[in-house]
Amino acid sequence: CKLGQSVFLCCLYTFPSLSRLFYRYRDLAPQLVPLSYIDKPDVKLPYELIGSMAELKDNPFRQRIAEVFSEDGEGNMTLDDFLDMFSVLSEMAPRDLKAYYAFKIYDFNNDDYICKSDLEKTVNKLTRNELTLEEVCLVCDKVIDEADQDNDGRLSVEDFQHMIARAPDFLSTFHIRI
Amino acid sequence: MTYHYNEAFENPDYRYSETLEIDRSRERNSSFLQNHHDSSLDDDSLYDSYEGGRGQRNQDYPMASMQPGFRYSHSASRPNTNPYGNPHTNPSFEYEPEFAYTSPSTFHAGDGPYVRRASDMSDGGSFSQSYNRRQADLVYRMPSSLLRLDSNAETYDKDKYKHEEKLIKNLASISSKERVKAIQKTPKTMKEKRDIRNKVLMEKTKKSVSSSTQINCCTQCLYKTALSYQRFKNGMSEYLHLLQLWQKTLKVIGGKFGTSVLSYFVFLKWLLTFNIFSFLVNFSFITIPQLIASGPNNLSFNGLELLTGAGYFKKTVLYYGFYTNSTITKTENNSSYDMQLAYIFTIGIYFIICFFSLVYSMAKSFRKNFINPQTYSGSAAKLLCIWDFNITNEKAVKLKQSNLSTQIKESLSEVTLEVLNLSPKQRIARIAVHLLVWMASLGIAAACCAGVYFFSRNNLQLLEGNKSELENEAATLVLPIVVSLLNLLIPFCFALFGLIEKFQYPRHQLYATVIRNVFLKIAIIGILCYYWLNDVATSEKECWESLVGQDIYRLIVIDFIFCLLASFFGEFVRRIIGTKCCKKLGVPEFDIARNVLDLIYTQTLAWIGIFFAPLMPAMQIISFFIIFYVKKVSLMRNCQPPRKVWRASQMTTLFIFLLFFPSFTGVLSVMAVIIWRRTPSKQCGPFQGLTSIIDAVSGWMHILDSYSSSKWVVWIYYNLIGSVHFFFILTVIVLIITYLYWQIIEGRRIMVRLLHEQIINEGKDKMFLLNKLRALQTSKLDPPKEQQERSSSSYQPYRRAALQMTASIERPFGRNGRDFYVEPSSARIPEKTSLPPADTEGCQPGISETLALALRARQQAEWEMEDNDDEDFRP
Repeated sequence: CKLGQSVFLCCLYTFPSLSRLFYRYRDLAPQLVPLSYIDKPDVKLPYELIGSMAELKDNPFRQRIAEVFSEDGEGNMTLDDFLDMFSVLSEMAPRDLKAYYAFKIYDFNNDDYICKSDLEKTVNKLTRNELTLEEVCLVCDKVIDEADQDNDGRLSVEDFQHMIARAPDFLSTFHIRI
Repeated sequence: MTYHYNEAFENPDYRYSETLEIDRSRERNSSFLQNHHDSSLDDDSLYDSYEGGRGQRNQDYPMASMQPGFRYSHSASRPNTNPYGNPHTNPSFEYEPEFAYTSPSTFHAGDGPYVRRASDMSDGGSFSQSYNRRQADLVYRMPSSLLRLDSNAETYDKDKYKHEEKLIKNLASISSKERVKAIQKTPKTMKEKRDIRNKVLMEKTKKSVSSSTQINCCTQCLYKTALSYQRFKNGMSEYLHLLQLWQKTLKVIGGKFGTSVLSYFVFLKWLLTFNIFSFLVNFSFITIPQLIASGPNNLSFNGLELLTGAGYFKKTVLYYGFYTNSTITKTENNSSYDMQLAYIFTIGIYFIICFFSLVYSMAKSFRKNFINPQTYSGSAAKLLCIWDFNITNEKAVKLKQSNLSTQIKESLSEVTLEVLNLSPKQRIARIAVHLLVWMASLGIAAACCAGVYFFSRNNLQLLEGNKSELENEAATLVLPIVVSLLNLLIPFCFALFGLIEKFQYPRHQLYATVIRNVFLKIAIIGILCYYWLNDVATSEKECWESLVGQDIYRLIVIDFIFCLLASFFGEFVRRIIGTKCCKKLGVPEFDIARNVLDLIYTQTLAWIGIFFAPLMPAMQIISFFIIFYVKKVSLMRNCQPPRKVWRASQMTTLFIFLLFFPSFTGVLSVMAVIIWRRTPSKQCGPFQGLTSIIDAVSGWMHILDSYSSSKWVVWIYYNLIGSVHFFFILTVIVLIITYLYWQIIEGRRIMVRLLHEQIINEGKDKMFLLNKLRALQTSKLDPPKEQQERSSSSYQPYRRAALQMTASIERPFGRNGRDFYVEPSSARIPEKTSLPPADTEGCQPGISETLALALRARQQAEWEMEDNDDEDFRP
């Protein structure tokens, strides 16, 4: 097996999709990634390569996704990170796991809370800066007002998960087909 | 070395990892090296800081064979840079401080669900305790807590370590499958997961080693076969994967049009698999035996048969009439094949399987998508869940973004408008319009039904008149064309009603149109069934089953042609008009609801047709294939992504439900009438000469009755399948279970409401306390020197007490009130423990004051809560 140790049951994928994923990873930089992972090479692909994948290239959150799933927090990914990312974004991942990572993606400043500035960034990314400042502010206030359960003016993971539990479409939309 | 074998064998998970062989060979080679490591590392002072881990350590080292050696030395060579100081247990943790360890609050939150599940599986009590304790630990490092804990880092580490041990022990005690799931669900990086798994494996082997150190060759052999089976399975799944249809196409569609349009294609694919399955079943159990026994076909073939399904096809395996009623014996040695029984059992079992798979997928989809539909109305969820990560096309992304911004603008303007305040007059007018439209649509449906019925009766009489063959065949095509036309045009008519009607939510409009269309389609199919069962079946025709089969064949073929035409005119021509002539119209959108309803309609026809024409699924497969590609091309060329929000998952559930409820249950009742009440035709088909089809089965039962060995089959038939009482009791049981679940749901709903109120109260509580603490801190900070002196010695316990205090306050939020039952007791314990020092010494009035305040506030909140509860329980 070319993947060596990296293929591992902690991943939610089945074998064929794993090998497909591996080839996708390798195709990003054939000269960097060896075919065999048996001797555990320490390979990291830079964010520029990851972000240029067809699946992520046009996603407004691509940088956040890469940052959240990479070990170093800067978007440079090892094969493990890569597999991790797509297993969370796969169909098989349970709702709580998906919600947890979605929370991380929206938490731009990594402070474990989605605060108003995070929300503003999210709204701007979602709408390509087409809203005026007041509108963005209004939307963010509304969101916090609605989803904040404990009145601390920001969303914790629990708030977020609670909200996700009420949004049935989340499972199908937080999903990247590979 | 037997040790490793044992581990690998004991643990099925291990087998699942594809690299097992490599692991093992590596282990074999490196175990000596590992021991060497062990001894060399033992000198390292770093590891001696661990008292608790001593017993564990030797067990931990073999695990390190999963990690390359250099990493070990790497972590060991580092001085105490790791703030958490336990590289020994997790050699990989230092690489990702980002994820789990600097953010314990999120860490435990993500951990929660699976931990709970795990504890459900094993002993719940001890585990939840450890869980609580952990939470208390974690709150120490919650960013929100005012007092940062620096000096307690060590104890924190220890506690964390202990907790992890407990978690691993618990994981080890549950079944392997459950454990794999649990590990997969942890929100950690792969390295951490791997680490946990390895530790769990160690735990398991430790146990099993103590019980049995020797491994016999039998288990080894078993293990080897298991391994080769695993390999075989992997190889197979790689090929099976190639069979996964349209993976790429679906991805492209999803990337360009989003999940909503994708759901139509996924539904189409799902129906296709249904039909492939039924085709395989029918072909192998009904058609192949018949093909063996059948003679040559003398009828001539001209092209028109493909449309009408008559003529040449009459004498082929396509129709019911061709099948014999005899037993087929090809070989001499007595083995015979009873066509009658094969026919009825194949179709019966197919329907039973269909029933269960429909119920299953309906339940699954319902559970997944309708978790709490009442509360689903919020811009928060909309905003944060709305981004469709499927979309990968640049244009589509831009379009989606601009759609989103207009949507947000609209919703903002709605906020300012608030709810439309209608005057009573307007309201009455609106209701009147609704009523009128409903009446009109029902009237149209009824008129269509009546038209189809009289037309088909006339058609039947027309066919009896003596005319040329060609004319006859052409005449048969009129009915399906009329039906398809109705199916095509009336929905447009219904769509026009949308202009008159005004709904408060667009969702309601969608539901209303869907319901009206379903009504129309089901009514047409119903009237056709009535016509077949009442007129054709009793008309003394030569072979009425085949006639019905032909009718259904024509209906499906003509509907298929109309579907193609509709996508040509409705999408292609519409786009040309929209872009060239009338710019205002623009590019058309893909109408998901109408297309899905068309699919449901043809599937219903095909189900009815299965009895009359066992190879109907084959036709369905071909037509679905073509429809898939035509729709795909038409979508790519002509359409634009839908602008409105389409609740894809909820709509999918609705469509599966529609497929089940009017469609499939209707088919079942039609089947029941045919089998129990109608006389099969006298000259053709497998059941010729019987008074009703079910007689075939009862006759078989009589034969079986004479054999003593098969008495139980007869008993089951008479006492379970044939008896009314059994079904009565079954129904009652199902109803009781449904009622019980309903009650449970009601109870939970009340519980959720109460807990929600509690959360809000606790939130107020927390804010109040935090403000107080903050105020006190600022006042404390004024004389900074004094405080520094204290903090070194006597201040410490108080500080911790206060921290525990905050911890106990914050805990309930941590789980969103999920551990409601555990919370009150566990919350009080730290309070009590924290009180005595404050009372006895009393030299820090500020702190004790805070505590007193906090306690008072808490009590107050509790009283408030009780009051609320009382109110809730009052009727």
